[in-house]
Amino acid sequence: MQPSEELLKAVETLSEKSGFPFQISPEPVPGTSLFVVHTPDHGFRPEYTVTRGVLGFRAPFNFPDAAPEDSFFVIPVDIKLLSPDPVRNSIDVNRASRTENFVTGSALGNVAVLLFSWHLWDRVPWNRRAHTLVDHYSHCIRRFEHAENG
Amino acid sequence: MADGRGRMKETPLPLVRRADEVHIAADRVTWREIVSRLSAQAPAEACAFVLTRPSIGALRTTVIIRDVIWARVGEVVATPRALEISADYISRALDIAIDAGPMVGLCLVHTHPRSEWGEGIALFSPRDDWYEQRLFPTIAGARPEALSASIVLGSAGDVDARIWWRENKAVVTQAAHAIRVVGPELTVLETPASPWRDHPDPSVMDRSTRLWGREGRRRLQNLRVGIVGAGGTGSLSAFALATMGVGKLRVWDKDIARKENRHRTAGITAEYVGKPKVEALKAFAESVATAEPFLMETYEDWGTTEEGLRRLKDCDIVFCCVDKFAPRVPLNDLAYAHLIPVLDMASWMHPDKNKKIDALMTHAHAWSPGIPCAWCRETLTSYGLTKEAQGRQQGIEKRIPYGLPLEDTDGVEPSVLPLNMLGVSLALMEFMQVGLKITDRTPNDLKFILPEWELDESDRLVRGDCGCLMSVGAADTLSIRPVLLE
Repeated sequence: MQPSEELLKAVETLSEKSGFPFQISPEPVPGTSLFVVHTPDHGFRPEYTVTRGVLGFRAPFNFPDAAPEDSFFVIPVDIKLLSPDPVRNSIDVNRASRTENFVTGSALGNVAVLLFSWHLWDRVPWNRRAHTLVDHYSHCIRRFEHAENG
Repeated sequence: MADGRGRMKETPLPLVRRADEVHIAADRVTWREIVSRLSAQAPAEACAFVLTRPSIGALRTTVIIRDVIWARVGEVVATPRALEISADYISRALDIAIDAGPMVGLCLVHTHPRSEWGEGIALFSPRDDWYEQRLFPTIAGARPEALSASIVLGSAGDVDARIWWRENKAVVTQAAHAIRVVGPELTVLETPASPWRDHPDPSVMDRSTRLWGREGRRRLQNLRVGIVGAGGTGSLSAFALATMGVGKLRVWDKDIARKENRHRTAGITAEYVGKPKVEALKAFAESVATAEPFLMETYEDWGTTEEGLRRLKDCDIVFCCVDKFAPRVPLNDLAYAHLIPVLDMASWMHPDKNKKIDALMTHAHAWSPGIPCAWCRETLTSYGLTKEAQGRQQGIEKRIPYGLPLEDTDGVEPSVLPLNMLGVSLALMEFMQVGLKITDRTPNDLKFILPEWELDESDRLVRGDCGCLMSVGAADTLSIRPVLLE
């Protein structure tokens, strides 16, 4: 299975609109029908121990009828907060966890990623006829604008 | 445009065979509006332009009509014997078609009302032929990528129709064989060119004919029903439809029959294990078929490929017998955009740790204009599709970030013959309603539920913002994405 023309076009548009060169995996992650979409050098929050790295998400073969996964990932996987979050008293990034076998088959190789939990699309549900990967990307980076102790 | 008495000199029509079958189709709301408003002009003739969109199948070409452009005062002069259509009306209709896109053409619908000579007969008169040979070069010349059409309505509900298109530099025509009117139910209006025929020995269906009559029997004999999937529900559907007297079946499935399929799939005898499922089903359906002739076409492929979707456009009704959500998306779109009712069925059950069923649902749902679609009903949701695409990593975003492991499942759910039969039976009841109108109302989604032992009809309505409303009759102007299952 290869990414559809529609998905390839959506990734191309995302690159144009975001200013980051996104690429898509040539095949789905084994055991799934999801393609990995990522950009290798994206800015993170200044409170993180690493300020730049990979940012990506996964999109299904039948996009846009099916929504992108309600999550995103970053690499390196060992990103922490520079100082402990006062609510949780922890330097771990909140609601994110090391995940294996998430980007297998992509240009990233079979590396672990830091997977951020769902709730990106909690306000407006995905609309297959209206929403784009640019909308999804906007939700992903919105996560970096929220307080880390949310 | 008719006086029916040969006052105009007959001019041979530029007849060309474009397709084996030619249909005109309309959603019921549009059709009723056209018929009621034009008939109200009797005893004068009346006419209207309607936008057309093409639905091109493998052997059938259908011109779908929608969006009536009513004549303004003075644009049509009508008498009981003739119509005069002004250049302004033609020009305004053409402008609207041009604005609607390159594949959009025009259909001219006009009436032959009852007159002092008797019923108005739905046959194109020599005057109609003469006039249309002058009108359609103008229309097809301006709409070279579109298919246009003309329809004549008789006063007793009879119809005649033909399509017009540009081929190289000529503008040519072919007679239409039928007009399909599709709402919650399917009505087929045969034209004089209809190739439909009756069963040669109707006595073999005596008990059924007592319910749906000669007309129903004739319809079953001539309908082409598609079945997407030849597994647990598809095989039973094919068996039942062939037994009931449906004359043409088209079935798709890429799977090879395994011994594990035998306990819940009709037609897979030991000799067919290791062979394509459709091969086993073809032999079985042919052995029980009561239609004469009976034609069963099988495809060892998924029905939602590009080619599969093209062949589905030849069908009058489709049974959706797949076990995944993804292929339901193009089939749902097909139902509304191409006016081909789809009967969806599915079963799901969950046994508890003691092997008692703590949740079970089987449903049958007709997707057709006037009935909520799979998206309105939330059988289909974008997140449901995403979840399905996650496969073995289902729910990963809700589990891993919280330290929970992925659920260890191979994704294969229990399936038993009685549950499949129940789903198929509900779908067949809906088939009789959609195809033969056995009651006054077609139900919304029907569900049988355990442990409550309830049969429930969904009370959800068409969602006002759902794409199914806009896509009704959009035909090939709506891009339907094929789904290839691997």
